[in-house]
Amino acid sequence: MDFRFTEDQLIFRDAVRDFLDGECTPAAIRGLIDSPDGGAVKFRTALAELGLTGLPLAEEHGGLGMNELDAVLAAEECGRAAVPGALFDSMAVAGPLLAEAAPELAAEWLPKVATGEATIALGHALNPFVLDAGIADLLLMARDGALYAVPRSTVTLTEAPSVDPSRRPAKVQWSSSAGQKILDGERFEALWTLALDRAALYAAADMLGATQRMLDMSVEYTKNREQFGRPIGSFQAVKHLLADVQVKLTFARPVVYYAAYALVNGLPQRSIRVSHAKVAAADAATLGARRTLQVHGAMGYTWEYDLQIWMKRVWADAGCWGTSAWHRARIAGAILAPGTDLGPGRTWAA
Amino acid sequence: MSDAIESAEDQAFRAEARDWLTEQLEGPFAYVRFRGGPGEEDEEFEGRVEWEKAMGAAGWTGISWPKEYGGRAASLSQQVIFYQEYARAGGPGRVGHIGEGLVAPTILAFGTEAQKQRFLPGIKSGTELWCQGYSEPAAGSDLANVQTRARLEGGKWIIDGQKVWTSLAHKAGWCFVICKTEPDAPRYRNLSFLLVEMNQPGITVKPIVQLSGTSEFNEVFFDGAHAPAENVVGAPGQGWKVAMALLGFERGASTLGQQIGFESEFKEILAAARENGTAKDPVMRQKLAQCWIELQLVRLNALTNLNEGTTRPGLAAINKLCWATWHRDAGELAMEVLGAEAEICAEPPYALTRMQSRFLFSRSDTIYGGTNEIQRNIIAEQGLGLPREPRP
Ligand SMILES: Cc1cc2nc3c(=O)[nH]c(=O)nc-3n(C[C@H](O)[C@H](O)[C@H](O)COP(=O)(O)OP(=O)(O)OC[C@H]3O[C@@H](n4cnc5c(N)ncnc54)[C@H](O)[C@@H]3O)c2cc1C
Repeated sequence: MDFRFTEDQLIFRDAVRDFLDGECTPAAIRGLIDSPDGGAVKFRTALAELGLTGLPLAEEHGGLGMNELDAVLAAEECGRAAVPGALFDSMAVAGPLLAEAAPELAAEWLPKVATGEATIALGHALNPFVLDAGIADLLLMARDGALYAVPRSTVTLTEAPSVDPSRRPAKVQWSSSAGQKILDGERFEALWTLALDRAALYAAADMLGATQRMLDMSVEYTKNREQFGRPIGSFQAVKHLLADVQVKLTFARPVVYYAAYALVNGLPQRSIRVSHAKVAAADAATLGARRTLQVHGAMGYTWEYDLQIWMKRVWADAGCWGTSAWHRARIAGAILAPGTDLGPGRTWAA
Repeated sequence: MSDAIESAEDQAFRAEARDWLTEQLEGPFAYVRFRGGPGEEDEEFEGRVEWEKAMGAAGWTGISWPKEYGGRAASLSQQVIFYQEYARAGGPGRVGHIGEGLVAPTILAFGTEAQKQRFLPGIKSGTELWCQGYSEPAAGSDLANVQTRARLEGGKWIIDGQKVWTSLAHKAGWCFVICKTEPDAPRYRNLSFLLVEMNQPGITVKPIVQLSGTSEFNEVFFDGAHAPAENVVGAPGQGWKVAMALLGFERGASTLGQQIGFESEFKEILAAARENGTAKDPVMRQKLAQCWIELQLVRLNALTNLNEGTTRPGLAAINKLCWATWHRDAGELAMEVLGAEAEICAEPPYALTRMQSRFLFSRSDTIYGGTNEIQRNIIAEQGLGLPREPRP
């Protein structure tokens, strides 16, 4: 097993980063927070030029046919840039799900997702509010052990503003008769869990990127801000606040990458690897938000200073696609199940 | 520690406080009940000003002050009783806390008789609200580095400079300002503590928006602002000593009311956990229990240490560190209890829920009034006597 990413994967990540550094600036994000979609469509369209919107979709649907290990790096970059919109839910979770569950619908919709013209929203019981339902063309909604593809025109949305003003969650009222049942039974259970695992993985990656950004801003700030005639970053108390975040983030990153690896390779422990990733990333991000605000003093508490963009993003991410409590319970359920095969030979295996 | 649970006198005090608070807050002031808590400073502000005046008229402001200045000389235990009853009755966020909790004890300790006569009545009656002019762009933790200057000219102080993060400056009639008056004196001996009227041409207040989208604090610009020569507390050049004593009050007894209010906040977190079922989750149960344990630490620490807080070095810092950290962590726990619902606001476009407001506001508890790191430095240096950090 090689934990390093390939040259190609890193080149793609760097391309996404360079592009977002130029396009998705804090000023651009702020300029869009009052618009109806918070900027989701603008960045969906812009990222389509890089091929990002088709990244994990099949070539027959106009995608790049790449996998979760390729996508996880891009998701991290989107977190680092705080790209508005639930892009990964649409193209990297709903997209592959639709391809597996309903080939005909996939043929109709995924080419539009790949070109950045369409969004598919996902309604999961773990998220009482559906992100980007307002701009979605199609919604995949679960009810009573079955999955339905529901046209946007048939649902009723109630806007539910988020503490992160770039996000657009909504309460969705829908009727199964207006949709098309595309999955049920065991296949539903299996694919719906897979979708959850993918979504939680990308939420974790998003938090890694956002935490890295908060840390970078804080390093810059504490090098330059002076009190008592010296940079505050020279005080051990400040150094240690940030060093702890660096440690947590460094620990969380391989966990997230390993979860992506587990998804790509269909490892039997896939779900608990993902749960671990979500918990580890949320821990790093929550600590990161708390500590980076602290080292900024009152400045970090203002609207005008950009740190708040990322703090709010991770506070929202942490509760989405399963809270840490939910994921810990899922890990506990798996490792405490009778006959679970753990131990030296297993830890480094699947 | 005395063994009596509550003396007859204290019981009578409690009954009197409870009766008055209930009568008012279920009667004419029902509309301010539970309003204007941490993070909701703008809520029903005018009503809360009226409330402050009503409290003053009935003798419930400045209760710890000596009787000759209109106080009740209430003991610490009576102050605790009052705040308990206040929280229980749903008393609103106080608009007069900076005057009552910070300025008044400072004037009582360092002010002239004339200053006491001039300023205490306005604080007591709720007719003069105050704000705190300490921090500046280059002087946050390093407060001694303030650059705002004042010079005596024709029997008046003339003040030039800038303050920042000044809470309630947009509402206050008065500001206490730490400024440099002795430019040639060494650090710590070059400052004065001035009492300055806000409503004058030389002062401009600009709101700063907080991450909650509301704005409780401001930038305050002094451009040839005036104050009468006698409005200096302590001698010119003694400002640092006075300023530090005020911080002792700020970190000590002044927050008692707020700390007792934490009990209500904690109850709300428990109620949310019961309602959405998180209370059944074993990990969350442990966390809630731990939060309760730490709240008891805050409470017992306040009760035992506040009497000594201003005399024993480092105790006020322990108190501040303790409640600020509790509040910040409780804010996070509340969000965790709410889970996926935590991010959803009360209504469009950006009206936060009470728990969100508290969560966001409590991010600042570990910063204002001296950051956690500064409190730890004080505990270590002044409390334990460890060698000092290098200072300029
Ligand atoms: C909500 C709110 C309300 C406020 N209201 C008022 C008010 O009404 N009036 C007023 O005057 N001020 C007010 N303040 C300002 C507050 O007092 C300052 O924010 C605080 O003193 C810290 O200063 P700073 O923000 O400049 O941070 P800095 O001093 O720049 O600190 C940044 C970081 O460096 C750390 N640091 C600095 N020096 C050291 C050191 N020697 N050792 C270790 N760590 C160090 C700090 O702990 C912090 O983590 C308010 C602040 C907030 C957030």
